This record gives sequence, structure tokens and C-alpha cells, in this order.
Amino acid sequence: MVEVRLENVTKLYGRKLAIDDISFTCKEGEFFSILGPTGAGKSTILKMIAGIEPITSGKIYFDDLVVNNLLPHERNVSMAFESYNLYSHFNVYENIAFPLRAPKWQLNLSKEEEKKKVTEIADFLGIGKLLDRKPQNLSGGQKQRVSLARALVRKPQVYLLDEPIAHLDAKLKFTTQTLLREFAVNYGSTIIYVTHDYREALALSDNMMVLRKGKIDQLGTPEEIYHAPKIDFVGMLVGEPPMNMVDGSLISREGKTFFKAGDSFEFELLKDTEINARKHAVIKENNSIVRLGVRCEYIKVSDQKMSDNSFQLPVYAVVHEAESSVITFELENSFLHSRVSRGKGYEDCRITEKVWLEFVQENISFFEKTVELSKA
Amino acid sequence: MKSKGIVVKRILFWVVTLLVLAGILFPLLWIYLTAFKSSNDIFAGTLQRQLIFTPTLENFKRLFVQFPFFRSMGNSLIISISSTVLVMVIALPAAYSFARWNTGGGHILFNTIASRMFPGAVAAIPFFLIYRALHLLDTHIGLILLFMYFNVSFATFLLYGFFRDVPVELEQAAMIDGYGRFAIFRKIVLPLVLPGIATTSVFCLIWSWNEFLYSFLFTRNAAKTITVLISSFWGSIEVQYGTMAAGAAISILPTLIAAWFMQRYIIRGLTFGAVKG
Repeated sequence: MVEVRLENVTKLYGRKLAIDDISFTCKEGEFFSILGPTGAGKSTILKMIAGIEPITSGKIYFDDLVVNNLLPHERNVSMAFESYNLYSHFNVYENIAFPLRAPKWQLNLSKEEEKKKVTEIADFLGIGKLLDRKPQNLSGGQKQRVSLARALVRKPQVYLLDEPIAHLDAKLKFTTQTLLREFAVNYGSTIIYVTHDYREALALSDNMMVLRKGKIDQLGTPEEIYHAPKIDFVGMLVGEPPMNMVDGSLISREGKTFFKAGDSFEFELLKDTEINARKHAVIKENNSIVRLGVRCEYIKVSDQKMSDNSFQLPVYAVVHEAESSVITFELENSFLHSRVSRGKGYEDCRITEKVWLEFVQENISFFEKTVELSKA
Repeated sequence: MKSKGIVVKRILFWVVTLLVLAGILFPLLWIYLTAFKSSNDIFAGTLQRQLIFTPTLENFKRLFVQFPFFRSMGNSLIISISSTVLVMVIALPAAYSFARWNTGGGHILFNTIASRMFPGAVAAIPFFLIYRALHLLDTHIGLILLFMYFNVSFATFLLYGFFRDVPVELEQAAMIDGYGRFAIFRKIVLPLVLPGIATTSVFCLIWSWNEFLYSFLFTRNAAKTITVLISSFWGSIEVQYGTMAAGAAISILPTLIAAWFMQRYIIRGLTFGAVKG
């Protein structure tokens, strides 16, 4: 196992900038996730580390070795592809055994040893009964697990997993996720994991990064990414419903500072919150414009006024889920979602009813605007 | 009204089908009937005597005894099989290189296929002069080289389509799995284009087997092929229809059998390579 380090890596496809001066480190034995929307350049990063996509500038290190000019089979990595890439003329067993048979690794396994390794990983991923089938006769989820098995069967320097469980159904996704975590812990493997699903990234990673349009928005632990997003985009990418974003301005009155969200509502900011808000505020036409972010679980809802910082809004929609309810309020250019746990708040409100809201001030974040809000 | 339309459609379908079938089958029928007729029956005036006659093997006997039939057939076999094998040896890596690395930026690929765009007869005279100078006239190797010249371009172009259909990601996966370029070509790419290789080989074989113009111009005795031998029955004094039909009856068998066995592959092969650009 090695540490993987990218230093100022840039990738151009023709004139299109796919990866823009990226640097990060995945430590030895670390589960590192790359989270981002479609087209962010996640897979490109994996392919560059694997060596199947050349880099335009920068350096990729495996420990202290620059691997820029090494061919894929000289780098000793294994990779699960999002598009499976199974060898259609081999059956499942042969597909999984293929990396074991490569002369490059000099494993020289006997038939029995090979069979033991293949069945072990296949059983681990629940595809032990499919070993004789051809890829054409497998479902998408089965193919995906074969592709994952092929990547995990060998012990390379680093595992590169590109959306390895994206096409599994919800239940399998959860069990496979658990298996992957188990695998990572048992073998102390360096794993770089690409996903567009924040749940997978949060659940699996030791460290992660959020990628947007070829640039790193934030690097950190899952806790930091979830609770302390540095950029509004990160907050909106992570969470279901995503972090609420409200555009507003800071108003000073009688020595106090208020956050005013258009004509919708305003409330007073406590001292610490205000300092934070001022840091991100932009002065525009004598107004201090700032974007406020708050996760849905930090919005209290009540039928009575809770404090001087409470404000009123009409209910737009209510969705009851198994363990909580999501109450939605309409703002000028966005929605505000509040999650109320079962039996722990005012969840039985009616639509259009005016209720009292309050933000938990320690959990409010402020951002400069980097993405447009929309109600869609 | 609707049912009337369907009836008309069905009648039209069968009329066209039967016409096409007759067009294909009539020459075959004529060849196989004539091959087993005595010369008297061949020129019989009535349709009844054309169809009902006493079969005889005298045409075949004459063909085998009086003419170097087996030697010509052997020549055809040697030349078409050798040229096809050599064509594939050249065309496979060439097509792979065009498909995977766009070698020559498309220009070389176009030039390759361009050699098939002029009538074969145009090149005949310069080739003849070259061959005379090199003493290649009436030799197996001479015809093999000629057929390679014509078939390499065609085979490369056909194989190019098959190679294009093998996703490059598969090869990337194999590289990551620890294999070098050559091993990947052998273990992953080649098995996947096997139907393409079969289709292309059959086309080259059939073409070489049926080739007439160059075989006629470039061979006399030693390397005379079956098509040339059959044409020689059309003499200046008489046309030996019976012998000709017997020769044709045998010489079209390999192509018929090849086409029959390969039809599934050939149809799939042609559309496979053609549809996706």
C-alpha cells in the first residue's frame, strides 16, 4: 500500500480544461472519496492515477515515486469501472481471475490457490453462484459486483473505485457499502473512491473532497464537509434535503444586527454569528449582502413564538417520512426545508398555516454566492 | 378494404420473392442439370426433354481425364488460401492500428481503400510489365501477391469496423489488470473480433477463388486456376457446355458451402461493423 499524492495536476482535453490545478493527498491505508456532480472530473482523476489518461501538467506520486510516465501495468493499481468493462468472452470466474493470471504480478498461483481467491471474493460480494455465467447473462447490479470483485481480488498498491455501487438497488447498495468498509478496515488498503452520492462518501470515507468543474471546493473529513461546508455549493451537494440557502442582507439597528431575507423574514444575529456573517458579506449598493446556510435539522418549528429571534412563515408543504417530517416554506427564490423528528416538534401543521420558525444560531453558516439558487 | 390491402401486399411479396429466387436459382439449376446431361440432351428443343433426361457422368469423366482439373483446383486452393492468410497477417495489425490510434489521421486508411476504386483492368498492363521483368508470370507467388494487393485494402477496411466496436475501456481495464499491449491484443481484442476475422477471411477466400481477370492474364499452365480452366472450354471451334457446367458445378461448391455456414456471421459481421461509425 502506498500514499497517493497529486501535485498541481492539470488536464486539458483539447482546449477544454477538465482538471484545474489540483493537489491532494490520500494517505496510506486511507479511504478517500471524491464527491462531485456529473462532469466534475472525478473519473478523469482516477484514470490519471491509473495511468490510462495522461496528465497535461503536474505530478502524481506513489509515496516518493513520480508515476507520471509509468504505464498502467507498471503502476500496480486496480480499478473498478463505472461502465463495468467486463470481458464478454470470459465467464465471471475468468473475469475475476484475469488480474491474478497476469505475468506482471508474478503471483504464479496454482489452480487451487486461484480458485480459493476468486471464490472468496465472489462469495464476499454475493456473486459466488454466478461464476459460470457470461457477463451478457447478468443484470446491471451483478455486472457491477463482478467488476468490483475483479478490482478487489488482487492486493495492489492502491484501489481505484469509480462509482462501484451506483447501479445496485438500495438494499444491495447498503450491504455492499458495509462490505467495502469491512474490506478497507481488514486490509488497511489505500482506496480512492469516486461517487456522486454524498451518502456513500460520508458513510465510507476517512477523508474526502468535493470537486466541481475540475476544481476542489473543499477537502476534509466527512464531518467537516457535512457540518462546516466552506462553500455554498458543498452545502447544497451534501444532505437530503440539501442545506437551505437564503440570500439576504445584514441590517444594523439600535446597535443590533439583523439578517433580512428580502420581504420574507428577518431575525437578530447573536454576536458570534454576526462576526461570522460579516466575514462573508459583500458590500453592494450600501447593502451588506450575504448568503445564509442552515441544515434542515437546525430549523425549529413551533406554533408559538419561541424567542425574540423567531419569525413567522406560512407552510408550503409537509411530507411525513418514517422517522421525521419535512416542512417546506417558500421564499423568494428558494425553498426552506425543516426536518422535525417524530414527536419532537410541531409536525402536524396545515398548509398555509403561519407557524413560528427559529434557526439554531451555532449551526448557521455564511457564504459568498457561488451558485444561483432556484426553486427547481 | 383493409383485408384487401393485406392480400395485395402478400401477393406482391410473393411475386417479388419468387422473381428474386428464380434469378438466383435458375443459373444454379442450369449448371447442375447441364453437368449431368449428354451433349444431345443439352441442346434438346423441348422443355420436357430439358428437364427429364438420363443422367450421365461423362462430362465429369472428360473433365477429370482430358483436362488438368485437379491441378487447377489445387492451384486455386493454394493461391486463395495463402493469399487470404497473408492478407490477414497484414490487415489485422493495420486495421487495429487505424482503429485504435487513428494512424495517419485517416489519410492512409483512405489511400488503402482507394486502391479498390479504379477498375482492376487499369492496373493490369503495368503489373504485367513488372511481373514479366521479375519473372513472376505464371507463378503461384505472383498471383498470391496480386490478390494480396487487392484484398489487403478491403480486409483492412472491414476489420477496421470490427476493431472500432471493441471499447477502448476494455483494453484499459486489461492494462490495469497487469497486461502489456501484445497480451491484451491476443487475450482480449482478438477473441472479440473473431466473428469479424471469420467474415473477412471468407470474403477474401471467395474473392480469390472467383477471381478471373488477373488469373487469366497472368497464368498459362503452371499456376492456372480453376476459373481460367473453365473459361478455356469456350474454345474457338466449339463450346463444351457439358464440361463447363461440370467444372462450374464443382468449383462453386466451396463458395456455396462457405456462404451457407457463414451466413449468420456474415450478415451480423457486415451490419456490426457498418452501423456504428
